[in-house]
Amino acid sequence: MADVARIVLMRLGLGLLTLLVISVLIFGAVELLPGDIAQAVLGQGATEETLAALRQELGLDRSAIVRYVDWLAGAVVGDFGVSLLNQAPVAEVIGPRFANTLFLATYAAVIAVPVAIILGIIVALFRNTIFDRVANVATLTSISSPEFFLGYILILYFSVQTGWFPSIAKLSDGISFFELLERTFLPALTMVLVVVAHMMRMTRAAIINLLASPYIEMARLKGAPGWKVIALHALPNAWAPIINVVALNLAYLITGVVLVEVVFVYPGIGQLLVDAVTKRDFPVVQACCLIFAATFILLNLAADIGSILTNPRLRHPK
Amino acid sequence: MNYFVIGYYALLIGGSCLAAHYRKREVFLILFSLTLASFVMGIVGGENALWAVSIGAGLLALAAGTAYSFREFLILIAGPLTARALRTAPLTAAFGMFVIFSYAVLGIFAPIIAPYGEAEVISQSFAPADENMLLGADQLGRDMFSRLVYGARNTVGLALVATAIAFFIGAILGMIAAVKQGWFDQIMGRLIDVVMSIPSLIFALLLLSILGTNLIILVIIIGVIYSPRVYRLTRAVAGNVVVMDYIEAAKLRGEGMWYLIRKEILPNSTAPLIAEFGLEFCFVFLLVAGLSFLGLGIQPPTADWGSMVRENATLISFGEITPLIPAAAIALLTVAVNMVVDWMLYRSSGLKE
Amino acid sequence: MAKKGNVLLKIEGLRIEAYADEKWFEIVHGVDMTLHRGEVMGLIGESGAGKSTIGLAAMGFARDGCRISGGSVEFDGLELTTTSETDRRRLRGSRIAYVAQSAAASFNPAHKLIDQHTEAPVHYRIRKRMESQEDAMDLYERLRLPNPREIGFRYPHQVSGGQLQRAMTAMAMSCRPDLIIFDEPTTALDVTTQIEVLAAIRDIVDQFNTAAIYITHDLAVVAQMADVIKVLLKGDEVEEADTKSMLENPQEDYTKSLWAVRSFRREQKPRPEESAAPVVEVKNVDASYGPVKVLEDVSFDVHAGMTVAVVGESGSGKSTAARCITGLLPPTSGRVLFQGEELPASYLKRSKDQLRQAQMIYQMADTALNPKVRIGEIIGRPAEFYGGLKGTDLKNRIDELLDMIELDPSKFYARYPPELSGGQKQRVGIARALAAEPTFIICDEVTSALDQLVAEGILKLLDRLQRDLDLAYMFITHDLATVRSIADEVVVMKQGKVVEQGPKDVMFKPPHHPYTDLLLSSVPEMDPEWLSTLLEERGVDNVGEAAST
Repeated sequence: MADVARIVLMRLGLGLLTLLVISVLIFGAVELLPGDIAQAVLGQGATEETLAALRQELGLDRSAIVRYVDWLAGAVVGDFGVSLLNQAPVAEVIGPRFANTLFLATYAAVIAVPVAIILGIIVALFRNTIFDRVANVATLTSISSPEFFLGYILILYFSVQTGWFPSIAKLSDGISFFELLERTFLPALTMVLVVVAHMMRMTRAAIINLLASPYIEMARLKGAPGWKVIALHALPNAWAPIINVVALNLAYLITGVVLVEVVFVYPGIGQLLVDAVTKRDFPVVQACCLIFAATFILLNLAADIGSILTNPRLRHPK
Repeated sequence: MNYFVIGYYALLIGGSCLAAHYRKREVFLILFSLTLASFVMGIVGGENALWAVSIGAGLLALAAGTAYSFREFLILIAGPLTARALRTAPLTAAFGMFVIFSYAVLGIFAPIIAPYGEAEVISQSFAPADENMLLGADQLGRDMFSRLVYGARNTVGLALVATAIAFFIGAILGMIAAVKQGWFDQIMGRLIDVVMSIPSLIFALLLLSILGTNLIILVIIIGVIYSPRVYRLTRAVAGNVVVMDYIEAAKLRGEGMWYLIRKEILPNSTAPLIAEFGLEFCFVFLLVAGLSFLGLGIQPPTADWGSMVRENATLISFGEITPLIPAAAIALLTVAVNMVVDWMLYRSSGLKE
Repeated sequence: MAKKGNVLLKIEGLRIEAYADEKWFEIVHGVDMTLHRGEVMGLIGESGAGKSTIGLAAMGFARDGCRISGGSVEFDGLELTTTSETDRRRLRGSRIAYVAQSAAASFNPAHKLIDQHTEAPVHYRIRKRMESQEDAMDLYERLRLPNPREIGFRYPHQVSGGQLQRAMTAMAMSCRPDLIIFDEPTTALDVTTQIEVLAAIRDIVDQFNTAAIYITHDLAVVAQMADVIKVLLKGDEVEEADTKSMLENPQEDYTKSLWAVRSFRREQKPRPEESAAPVVEVKNVDASYGPVKVLEDVSFDVHAGMTVAVVGESGSGKSTAARCITGLLPPTSGRVLFQGEELPASYLKRSKDQLRQAQMIYQMADTALNPKVRIGEIIGRPAEFYGGLKGTDLKNRIDELLDMIELDPSKFYARYPPELSGGQKQRVGIARALAAEPTFIICDEVTSALDQLVAEGILKLLDRLQRDLDLAYMFITHDLATVRSIADEVVVMKQGKVVEQGPKDVMFKPPHHPYTDLLLSSVPEMDPEWLSTLLEERGVDNVGEAAST
């Protein structure tokens, strides 16, 4: 067990280090601006005085390293500075929106993960039949479609033509949880469609890979019935690949959420990021990017640790 | 009940019976599950649902027919070796090739095919389709069809260039790392891990917010963002080749790095690399479309499918499908490329055994 | 040998097809087989003979992408080809068991050995779980596994290969089946480990009077195990006879040719004079992979026109020694001298001429030749690279080389390696080495991936080339039969050290170093009594100990 603990700790350390490097990248990228932030914000027409004033306000007179350390120290405790647009603290702008995005992603994941894994396993078991081929074309089509295509089709059919669900995911205070689920159903479904397709394909590949192992053949040659081969021999070894598939796709959800939020005008962090990019509100952009990257890294980390913990070779060292 | 519904079920059930009789198991399964599904759909959606199924089936049959003819056509004009490979292509892959071919024609001959210029305002905004405008006009009164044709050139062209840049950077570095190994490989590996732990869309947004949405910058940014993926794959593919004894033999002979890459590694990695090019193109293409949709990609008035969707999105709430057409164009090309890649991957994995 | 009981398995006209390139191909063309209770049948043949496929068909099983297309398989009165899959499945594990080639891959990594052992008996309600565990320990003891009461509670990766193979045999025995299929159970093992497993399998099959089908490509092994031998070639039966008459008096030409393979033996050349300078001198070389020391104080010489065979089991460091000589793995200490001159440790620092002088031929001809380059170019490159040949000169040289390796230049010049057979590929590998005009060639297990007849052709070719071109060979092998046939000097290695070295004639005569003795005596011989005699000599009980020291 000491070995596992050491490997997990090392992996954690590596994840932390990656995050640190990324924070440098995100901060450093802004330094690449032609001129500086003040110039970029105020544009060419700005006078020297206003520029100087803004520089003073942003603390641009200090060295980049000092500002980075300052920024990072703030970020660690949730203080990302103030928005250049309205001077509101970035954390306050992001906070509720981040919660909304997390809600939407969780909503989609809760539906997508079990459906995808079960379907993936079924398709793997029926591989090379007509169902497998139909599923292959269907999933291929789904992952090839841009999120906004799926989103607008859903709006067209489930909102405009039938009126079953609202096309704009408007959140207001005091709506019931059930209402919330209904209003966010279409954006969640859009993401589910894409993620299920991805996850199904990966699960199928992982399971087929597993079923080709000699020990599966051995189990069949020992006379184990089909369900026992799957439950006793395949599944205990399938956790690592399945955990990986899930984590990878949850990470994918994070990116997908940006486009989906824009399509459904959902007040999440993705839309905020797009707005901030258009309006060149750098503190918000930086904060959003850091949050997205951190979530991404966290998920990958969880997947790696999951596969370490489920690996019998590591759990029972020599 | 009317004649259509009766004919519909008669056809399906008759077909199922025939398939069962001639022991065509798969055909029977499809037809019969479709029959069962139709019962449900007919009850829920009425006759319209059945019409939709019929039209869908007709389109599918049309696509299959086109794919089949196109494959036979390719087999006829190709050399004997290519023809043998093409014969193994499933209809989906043939369909994919047909779509790619059509897009290429559309893109290359855009000025000849399109009736109007891409930025030419010819009528009122959102004018409906008439004999001059196949698909009507967009929000500024420009011809949708012409813009769609030009979009094939702009959007696909941009994605192609960006993919090529990603490949140029990624593949060369990947092969060098595989040959050199040691510290270069180590450092590259770590660096790539870090860059890849930022989601590509987010990374692109970050860089675009700083560097602006200039077309050249856009292409370079996307190329650079996707090159780590290519690097990883190339490193893995080349890594499998590098352990071969013939590489050791060449190294011991005293051959230089470029000889190893050019003569020994590249010829043995082309198949997976071409497939990866297709896959990568899909990712890049979707990213470009996504960025344009967000208003951060190709800038107006240049015609581009992503921004066309965004500009005309309001029509959706009136039940119009026009804004879905450019989106469908994006999806169709991506599906097509994916289908061809799927076949190529299957072939290259099947041939190894 | 007398038939032991009534008929257990009767296969008639068995045909099996495999699916490839969207078509079904027949790979077994009507094979018959009759096996009696308690009888062991050896199935022997080269790769692609269909041995494993037939073995699995005896269980009514076909791998994915294969199907039984004709004939009948009757097991104890039950026709397996027409009965339901459920009935067939119920036979597997309970009445017919299977022992796979790679035990390491065939045990599920997620479960303890004993849990995998008890799975079938508990499933078939033959034994309760606890009883079955007791039984497993008993079987482990009979199979002479160390710590029989504890070893079952380990996971597969915690147990060595030879032990796993025995644990798998125990698992096959768990329901006391009537028939066990052994599919090359010792192929992946070293010779000294192989002995233990062979002895254990033979004992246990004998004790329970189980019938067995023993599949292998090794004649000497099958001679020890089988009562009856059936020879297969490309999915057809060649002949069948009881072991003794098969060995003494094979009828068919193909069988005779298999038996004759081991007859090639070259006279040992006179030792070079003391004053003669060796081509290659390895002096006190140490080497390590990272912190792991893999070579310790290795020294030997190779003289012009002579063959030095470096012998050892896997992990003995014989290939590492070659890597040190070629400079792929710079030694941590010690020197490698070439014609009296010290070679730079790394190949990167060696001159073009130094690289040219020492060439290498590889074990796997498949991976040694670039599949995307034409044969002519593969052979021509060294001539072009070192000799600067171009145009017709180059073409003539390539033709000359192809002639030397007995391949027709007009036919092979423009072909690609995947179009060639294993033996032809190995010949191209030899030609590529010769193209550099070397004085010293390292042959790394060059015959072990080849079928025996082809291997002999390669050995003869190498011998002729050595005489014609006065080449010095370093011959790395684990196969003592190969050593007997072509070596002049023998170097025995174990765990990174040279155990013993000397001229072949001396080395093959006692007294030996104990390890050399163990290695030599462990190589199976054709004599069916060999294993019994050997075990008697060694004293059955310390087989395991002898191998693990």
